[in-house]
Amino acid sequence: MKRITQMAWRNIWRNRKRTIITSASIFFAIFFAIVMRSFQLGTYDHMIHQSIETYTGFLQLQSPDYFDEPGLDNSFEYSDELLNSINNHPEVKIAVPRVESFALASIGVKSKGIMVNGIDVEKEARLSDPERNLVRYRFDSKIMDEVYKILGLTEDEIDNLKIYENASFNSLNKISLNCGIDDQEILEKIGKITAFEGSYLKENDDGILVSDRLSKFMQLEIGDTLVLMGTGYHGSTAAGLFPVRGIVKIPSPELDNKLVYMSLTRAQEFYGMENMLTTLAINLHDNSEMLVVQKSLSSNLDNNKYVVKNWEEFNPILKQTIEGDSVGGVVFIVILYVIVFFGIFGTVLMMIAERKREFGVLNAIGMKKRLLMYVVIIEMVFIGALGAITGMIASSPLVYLGNKFPIQLSGETAKMYEEMGYEAVMPMASFDPYFWWQAVIVVLMVIGASFFPLKSIRKLKLMKALRA
Amino acid sequence: MKVIEIKDLRKTYNESEVKVHAVNGVTLDFEEGEFAAIVGPSGSGKTTLLNMVGGLDDPTSGEVFVGGTKMNELKGEALTDFRLNNIGFVFQSYNLIPVLTAKENTEFVMRLQGKSARDCDARTEELLKSVGLGERMNARPAKLSGGQQQRVAVARALASKPKFILADEPTANLDSTSTETLLDIMEKLNKEENITFVFSTHDARVVKKARRVITIEDGKIISDIRKNGGEKINN
Ligand SMILES: Nc1ncnc2c1ncn2[C@@H]1O[C@H](COP(=O)(O)OP(=O)(O)OP(=O)(O)O)[C@@H](O)[C@H]1O
Ligand SMILES: [Mg+2]
Repeated sequence: MKRITQMAWRNIWRNRKRTIITSASIFFAIFFAIVMRSFQLGTYDHMIHQSIETYTGFLQLQSPDYFDEPGLDNSFEYSDELLNSINNHPEVKIAVPRVESFALASIGVKSKGIMVNGIDVEKEARLSDPERNLVRYRFDSKIMDEVYKILGLTEDEIDNLKIYENASFNSLNKISLNCGIDDQEILEKIGKITAFEGSYLKENDDGILVSDRLSKFMQLEIGDTLVLMGTGYHGSTAAGLFPVRGIVKIPSPELDNKLVYMSLTRAQEFYGMENMLTTLAINLHDNSEMLVVQKSLSSNLDNNKYVVKNWEEFNPILKQTIEGDSVGGVVFIVILYVIVFFGIFGTVLMMIAERKREFGVLNAIGMKKRLLMYVVIIEMVFIGALGAITGMIASSPLVYLGNKFPIQLSGETAKMYEEMGYEAVMPMASFDPYFWWQAVIVVLMVIGASFFPLKSIRKLKLMKALRA
Repeated sequence: MKVIEIKDLRKTYNESEVKVHAVNGVTLDFEEGEFAAIVGPSGSGKTTLLNMVGGLDDPTSGEVFVGGTKMNELKGEALTDFRLNNIGFVFQSYNLIPVLTAKENTEFVMRLQGKSARDCDARTEELLKSVGLGERMNARPAKLSGGQQQRVAVARALASKPKFILADEPTANLDSTSTETLLDIMEKLNKEENITFVFSTHDARVVKKARRVITIEDGKIISDIRKNGGEKINN
C-alpha cells in the first residue's frame, strides 16, 4: 500500500506542469470560495447581530393574536413569575419586557408618526443597550469650521470630516474609524468641540430618548418637551408631555427616523395599560439553538395566552434579504467549481489516456485493474488535496484576521454603508462549517471527475492496451 | 515435467472481409528448464501465440494448460492473479514503471503477491546482481540503457518465481552487445536455476543460443528442433 501511494505521488510529478495547473485551479477556486463566503456569512452574522441580537431579540414572547394584529389590545400581563420562568431556561441569556406601539409626536408646528419602545431601563441594557447608542458627539455644521482649524489635520482628514458634516457619533473611536483620524490628541480636541450632551434614562424616568434622524427632523434639543398623542389600551386616548433626555443613533435608518425610547412604567402609564406588555424580547446563549429553544419555551407556556416567535418569523424581510444574497454567492461558487470540475475531468482523462500501454503492461504482469484504478484515484486525491490544502492554508490567515479584526471602512464608503443601515465594517465569518465544506466539495469533485475516466480502466482491453 | 501444454490452439481475426488465421492449430509442449525460441517471418503469428500462452489474449479455440491449470477457463481478476503467480513477462519495450527504480520495479510483482518489504529486499538485490545491475539498483528506467532496462525486466519477471518466462522479441530494440549480454544472462539463469524461457525472435544470434527452435509460418508450426549439446534432433 505504501508502494502504491508512493507510486501515485511520483506519477503526478511526471507531468509537473499539468499537476501544478490543475492544483492551482483548485487552489484559486477554494481560496476565492472561502474568502467570498467568509465575507458573505460574516456580513449576515453582522446583520443579524445588528438588527436582531441588539434590537428585537432572537425570540419574542407575544400574545397569540399579536403576531397577526400587533397592537396594544393584544398585549399580555407582565409578572415576575413569567419573566423568571423564561430567564430560568438554561439556554436563555436574557429576556426583557417591552411595550411597543405608535404615537404622533409634535413640537411647535412639526409633527410626525413615531414608534414608541417602552423598555425596562436597567434590564434593556443587557439586550439592546440603548445607552451605547447615545449620541455623544455631533458634527453640527455651525461648529465644524472650528474643527477644521485644529492644527495637524491633514487634507484627507478634513475631507473625511466634511463628508460627515451633521452626522452624529457615539464615541471618539467611531469618529476615528469613520474619518480615518488616528491622532488621539486631535481626536480629543474634536471631541471637545463637538461634544453633545444628553443622558440615558433613569429607572421610571418620565423623559424619553429620541432617535437621531427623528431628532433632526423635529429639530429637537436636549431638554425640549415633545408632545405625544395616540391611541391607548382598549381605545383610550393617550397623551403626554415628554422631555428629551438624550438622542440615540440607531443603525437601521428606518428605525432611526421614528424611534422613541421611554421607560416601561412611563409607557404603560401613557398607554393606560398598567402592568401589560406587548412583547418579551429574548436573547440566547447559542443562537444556533434558536428553534430548539423556541420549541421548548413554547411547550412550557400556556399556548392560549402566549406564543414564542423567532426572528425569521417576525422579520422575514431580513431573512429573505440574507437568503437572496446568499443564493447569489452560492451560484458564483458553483460556477467556479463547475469550471474547475472540467479542468480536473480533463486531467484525469489525459492521465489515463496517455498511460494505456503502461496500464496494459501492469495488468499483464499481474496488477489488478482495481488496483490500477486505485492508483489513479490516489493521484487525483493528491492533486485535489494539494490544491485544497494550500488553498485553505492560504485563506486561513485572511479569514482569521478578517474575523478578529474586521475591515473598517471609512470616508465616503463608510457613510454610504451607514446610510443603508449597515455598520461600516466588513467582517468575515470564522472557521465555520463552510470552510471545511470546501474541502469536502473538492474531494467529491475529484471523485466525480474521475468516475467516467476510471471506467475506461475497468474496461481496459489488455491486448489493445499493450499494442498502444 | 510439462510446464506448458498447448492443444490445437487457434486464433482467427475477422476484422476485414478476409479471415486471418493468425494461429492456426498449434499443438506444443514445453518442459521445465527449456530455453526455446519461436521464430518465423513477420506476421507468422509468434506474438499472437505467445499472448495466448501468457493468458493475455483469448484463443478462438483450443486449450492452454499452465502447470496443469486450464488457463482458458480463468477470467478477470482470477486470470490476472494467475499471471502474477505463474508467468513472467518480458516485452519488447516499455516494460518498466517509469517512476520506480530498478529495485522497486523488480520488487513490484512480489509486493503485488503480498510479500513483505523485508522478504523482497534480499531477493531483488540478488536478482539485480545476477542480471549485472547490482550497481544500478536505485536508478529509474529513464537513466538506464535499453539493454539494462531489459535486464531489469528479466529480473522482475523472475521475482515472482513464475513457472516460466515469456519474452516477445526481448532483443528487438537492442544493439548487438546488449543483445549478447541479455542472452548470456538468460542462458545462465536457465542453466543455473533451471528457469524455463520461451521467447520469440527474428535475430539469428538469438536463435543460435536457443536449445530448441520452433519455426512457425502462417500460424502453423513447420519445424521444432531440439539441439542437444550441439546435436540437432529433428522431430
Ligand atoms: N488485432 C488484430 N487484428 C487483426 N489482425 C491481427 C491482429 N493482431 C495480429 N493480426 C494478424 O495476425 C497475424 C499474426 O500476427 P502476429 O503479430 O502474431 O505476427 P508476428 O509473428 O508476431 O509478427 P512480427 O514478427 O512482425 O512481430 C498477422 O497477419 C497480423 O496481421
Ligand atoms: Mg510479433
